[in-house]
Amino acid sequence: MDIISQLQEQVNTMALLALNTFGTLQRDAPPVRLSPNYPEPATNPSSAEETLDIVEQPKMMSTALVQAAKKFDTLVAALPLSGEEAQLKRIAELQAENEVVGLELQKQLEAAEQELKQAQELFNLAADNCLNLKKPD
Amino acid sequence: MATGTSSAYPPPPPYYRLYKDYLEDPESAPEPPPPVQGTYPLFGATYTTDVVLPSLEDQGVRQLYPKGPTIDFKRELTSLNRELQLHILELADVLVERPSQYARRVEDISLIFKNLHHLLNSLRPHQARATLIHILERQIQQRKQAIEDIKRRREEAQRLLKESLQNLDGHLA
Repeated sequence: MDIISQLQEQVNTMALLALNTFGTLQRDAPPVRLSPNYPEPATNPSSAEETLDIVEQPKMMSTALVQAAKKFDTLVAALPLSGEEAQLKRIAELQAENEVVGLELQKQLEAAEQELKQAQELFNLAADNCLNLKKPD
Repeated sequence: MATGTSSAYPPPPPYYRLYKDYLEDPESAPEPPPPVQGTYPLFGATYTTDVVLPSLEDQGVRQLYPKGPTIDFKRELTSLNRELQLHILELADVLVERPSQYARRVEDISLIFKNLHHLLNSLRPHQARATLIHILERQIQQRKQAIEDIKRRREEAQRLLKESLQNLDGHLA
């Protein structure tokens, strides 16, 4: 995939990662204590696996976000950019060279076709002589 | 099912009758209409033939990177990336401390994303020119290769003819 499409994909990936991060954290976050007067919420004996997830997931998701951002930066650094005028000048040069080379090619082609015709005529003469098909003048 | 009165599609335009004698006399029928230029309406929406990327202001989006004839794309892209990371962190903080004020931060983040995509889209013409350069270079190379091939074959043919001539002379003599 060309680099600009890769960059666009990377931007979309970062957006998706941010979305998933915030969505998951909001969904899985334990309730917040608003005031010391309210009674403690009845904490169900949550399995060790869940508490581990609540601790590990933010770390994993944030590393993924940072890695995506770093990849974006490397892709940007790899952009082969050059000025517009430089490109237009190069295009004009290449077009002129293409013209010249095209004319040369056409010349060679015509000369080669001439020689082919001559060779074919010679071959016909030789074949006729060999086979004695041509009536002697 | 449509009863076929007012909700049916319109019938084809009646121009086909003008082409009755087209096979015998191509001049008797009208020319096709010239290509559309400028803007044209299609199924109620207006489209334009002038394919140019609309600027951010045209879409009602604030432009975060500096305007001007030349834009340093790499620098702007990296700085926008850093801004994005900062805003994501800010959003996380806001959600912890003042959760009801998330809307402004989310709007900022989406603004940054729109700017990022607009910058990337404005790189496409540059890519098109680079592709054109690549195509021209390859075509020149192919033509030069063909010239070399033809030259070689011609020389080979000349050589063979000379050889056969010498052979014939050798036989005759």
